[in-house]
Amino acid sequence: MKASIEWLNEYADINTGAKQLADILTMTGSKVETIESQGNDIENVVVGKILEIKPHVDSDHLVVTKVDVGGGEILQIVTGAKNIKEGDIIPIAKDGSKLPGGIEIRTGKLRGVDSCGMMCSVGELGLDINSYPDQIENGIMILSSNLEKELGKDIKEVLGLNETVLDFEITPNRPDCLSIEGLGREVAVSLDVPFKDPRKNIDEMNVENKENIEGLTVDITAPDLCYRYVARVVKDVKIAPSPAWMAKRLNSCGVRAINNIVDITNYVMLEMGQPMHAFDINSIEGKHITVRRAKAQEKIITLDDQERTLNENMLVISDDKKAVAIAGVMGGQNSEIEENTQTVVFESAVFYGGSVRKTAKAVGLRTESSSRYEKGLSPENALRAINRAVELVEQIGAGKAVEGKIDVYPAKQKEVKIPLQVERINLLLGTNLSKQEMINILEKLDIKVENDIVIPPYFRQDIESTADVAEEVLRFYGYDKLGTTLINAETTLGGKNKEQKIADSVSEFLVNSGLSEICTYGFLSEKDLAKCNITGDNPYLTQAVKIQNPLSEDYTLMKTTSIPSMMQMLANNNNYKNQEVKLFDLSRVYQNKNNAIENGNLPEESNILTIGMYGQKENFYTLKGLVENVLELAGIPKLDVRKEQNNKMYHPGRCANFNIGNDVIATIGEANPLLTKNYDITQRVLIAEINIDKITKYARKTKKYAPITKFPAVERDISMVLNEEIEVGEIEKIIQKKSKKLLEEAKLFDIYRSDKLGENKKSVAYSLKFRVPDRTLTDEEVNGVMKEIVSELEKTLGAELRK
Amino acid sequence: MKEQIEQIKKQALEQIQNAQDAKALDEARIKYLGKKGELTLILRGMGALTPEERPVIGSLVNEVRDELEAKIEEGEKHFANLEIEKKLKEENIDVTMPSTKNSLGSVHPITQIINDVKEIFIGMGYEIADGPEVELATYNFDKLNTPPDHPARDVQDTFYITDDIVLRSQTSPVQARVMENTKPPIKIICPGAVYRSDSVDATHSPVFHQIEGLVIDKNISMADLKGTLAMFAKKCLGEKTLVRFRPHHFPFTEPSAEADVSCFVCGGKGCRVCKGEGWIELLGCGMVHPNVLKNCGIDPEEYSGFAFGFGVERIAMAKFGIDDMRLLYENDVRFLKQF
Repeated sequence: MKASIEWLNEYADINTGAKQLADILTMTGSKVETIESQGNDIENVVVGKILEIKPHVDSDHLVVTKVDVGGGEILQIVTGAKNIKEGDIIPIAKDGSKLPGGIEIRTGKLRGVDSCGMMCSVGELGLDINSYPDQIENGIMILSSNLEKELGKDIKEVLGLNETVLDFEITPNRPDCLSIEGLGREVAVSLDVPFKDPRKNIDEMNVENKENIEGLTVDITAPDLCYRYVARVVKDVKIAPSPAWMAKRLNSCGVRAINNIVDITNYVMLEMGQPMHAFDINSIEGKHITVRRAKAQEKIITLDDQERTLNENMLVISDDKKAVAIAGVMGGQNSEIEENTQTVVFESAVFYGGSVRKTAKAVGLRTESSSRYEKGLSPENALRAINRAVELVEQIGAGKAVEGKIDVYPAKQKEVKIPLQVERINLLLGTNLSKQEMINILEKLDIKVENDIVIPPYFRQDIESTADVAEEVLRFYGYDKLGTTLINAETTLGGKNKEQKIADSVSEFLVNSGLSEICTYGFLSEKDLAKCNITGDNPYLTQAVKIQNPLSEDYTLMKTTSIPSMMQMLANNNNYKNQEVKLFDLSRVYQNKNNAIENGNLPEESNILTIGMYGQKENFYTLKGLVENVLELAGIPKLDVRKEQNNKMYHPGRCANFNIGNDVIATIGEANPLLTKNYDITQRVLIAEINIDKITKYARKTKKYAPITKFPAVERDISMVLNEEIEVGEIEKIIQKKSKKLLEEAKLFDIYRSDKLGENKKSVAYSLKFRVPDRTLTDEEVNGVMKEIVSELEKTLGAELRK
Repeated sequence: MKEQIEQIKKQALEQIQNAQDAKALDEARIKYLGKKGELTLILRGMGALTPEERPVIGSLVNEVRDELEAKIEEGEKHFANLEIEKKLKEENIDVTMPSTKNSLGSVHPITQIINDVKEIFIGMGYEIADGPEVELATYNFDKLNTPPDHPARDVQDTFYITDDIVLRSQTSPVQARVMENTKPPIKIICPGAVYRSDSVDATHSPVFHQIEGLVIDKNISMADLKGTLAMFAKKCLGEKTLVRFRPHHFPFTEPSAEADVSCFVCGGKGCRVCKGEGWIELLGCGMVHPNVLKNCGIDPEEYSGFAFGFGVERIAMAKFGIDDMRLLYENDVRFLKQF
């Protein structure tokens, strides 16, 4: 909301500079975003008239002009402007003038021809092109031809630029402050000066209620969406431009002047915060206004020439045949004020904010009017506003008010009463204010306190409870005076839970191992999954949570796996020519299992650690070691590593699951070559996914000391030749199973292949260490176990033992 | 006899003196003091002496032996030192040669800020809470005093999965979940990702991180909130950081405030980071709205509390001097490894 200091001054004597005023208001809750001092930087720019335009002898794109700048002074100015013609009235920066941005204009020569000044564009005057919609951005500002009699006059005066305008950020709970009146009230209390209230006597303009004025009648058929509808009629209207003072004030708030009647509706909205509308009475069929819900597919062309399609949730103002306005949003072209309009109907109504907001969004039209309605306006203000409009009509001689008003007011605004709880407010704020101090603050804000009951004024519908009263007290006691105390309450232990601790220690380990943590979006697309070889009925696709209103087609699903984003980040780094890249991502995946969402439940969210690496030094086994370290660190006792050949994202020959029983807690391996190809990475990529939630579930809870054994170990080596496809894991399983708990460690120490062994054969050698905690093992015991191991290896794996 | 001993002494001393290495010393030791050494033989031949001569010669031999031993030992030490010196010289290395260290990884700047904040609040007795990111609209909005017609619920701002399920647009729903399941006192912070329908640019991202704080107990006041945030700001942003409260509005707190901190880059004098204001907007906060307490099963007559929430990216950017938010999500290791 923009407000000029000149206008605010009508409500409270402003005795400070703009910057200080802005600071004070910011600290009482009306945050000033910017201070615009239009025209401050402009000097010696005047109104001029182009008398002639002649070609430049030495240039195709320049012209030489003669400009009358008043007082008999004619200047020769050379310009490259294309949008000018003889007779145009334009701003002229004379010799020695100043423009915003520290620019000074001096007489000089352009291609050898004297030029004694410059014609100015909207931008060169430091003005916002949006405030001058009839001007073009890259051309000279063309002023109204009415200004011909003002030649030589200072442009600041002509354009009303000697204004300081504050731009406020008004919070949605304070629609009353979307008006000069409301802001004026805040200014008065903030500066601790009287609120002057120039509209104190507006109620005297009130007239009696009538059913029918000049044949006009009003009905509300949707009282749930329209709380009040007041109409008054003005006749003998002469449509004309508004007086300069009104246009200037509208302009200071960023509203363009149009004609006296339309300007009055805008002026009242800015002044009092109540949006208004004006219709030509002749365009209202049957002179009967109905406030009703729109019909499905009902159409209306709004004032901006756009056809809008409506539905039954929208409210319209209608005559007997057609909608003439979308309630609270914008009027229809069919009832627009025209140059020959003679009788005007003013509307001052209050609609349900939620409905106006939804309608405005649905038709794509957020207006000054709808943005006020959507916050919830006071029906009590509607009558004041229409009376003010009629007052202005008479004041500027725009027409003649007809006696009587139509006031349909089905839902009268209720008075709110809140007990004044002094002690509770002090406890809530941490202050020590007396009751009288609180009452003093509240009364300044027009909040009545009668017998310890707080009664907010009609325009403060945001005050509903003691907490709201406390905020009002605090605002004017001073947020900056609030003390800083520490909580005086029961001690709490605080700290991280088990999962958070595991995640933190794992992350620390990975960083120390040379991995960099990345941060990625939780989104992906079907395309991303396809790039990772996930299509069709793969659960990574079918269980993905779909976003109804995605930002773009790249972000349509929630992640079911972090591998696509990991691949993308590796690909980015590869593109940047970063070598030896090792990354990890600790984030969530979301799975819609068993149609959870369709049944109104939430999807499953899991915390997944995803590792991605490429580089000379990395291979499956370095990754495996890293993941084993992670699991050890987390306190995972025993794991079963199984080959995984069905996970589409991994190389089928180089992928493993880490299982606890049948529960897969991690998957590691090389990315399927299809992925590296799709992401344009020319080297092998290693990836791992570790489920942190599952790790937490299985992590050893307590640590317990086991005595260090005093008895010696018995060591045996075993070497065998077997078929290439047999995994060493199978050998280890047999060794484990057959050593009857005597085994302390089985260590693979050699593996080789040679022509001598034959094709598809390998030699594998283990060093076994046997030991028990309570005695020295005898050779016989160990020999017995070894015999069993050997025979089982021969039997199950067809191993040939080497002596 | 005496002359003979003197003669041996003289010869021995000469040989020791002339020894060029430890081996020559050892030879001298064997020659004079060994089992068959010249001095040893004299001691052995003492039986032939008169009883009067014996003590005199005996003590003379011992005297000479001690002297020779001392000399030999001295010489040995000398040669040992020479040996060590030689070795040290040979083993000289260039300590400025590059090391063979493993390169370290890095913690993402967003995580670093979150970790710093966690540590500060854990020190003040807070727990770390967590909740779903795909959230029921009732937790994201309704229970937080944001009814169905509220502008914050627009599809322009919030991602919807169904009409009743959203991507949480704030970490505040965790507040509601914790309040429903915990009897006060409650002291939590909740860091996490949140989602808003903003296109990606230098200062916006559809995914960003927030940290939410909540305290519920008897007699919790707004001054406690200010005190807590003042302490937090000092620890997180530097001992000299000041906190300023400005009135603001949020549906789930009343009274509400925006908290600014004195600029931690210029100390409040005004600079590019604080746009010359001397203050940086840090977070939104306030006293938990009585409706929110009621919605979550806590009696507002008995308990009060405060809540605050802030964006992690903004703080990370200001603190580390990062000028484009997109850098945080591009994950270029040349960027990541700077942290």
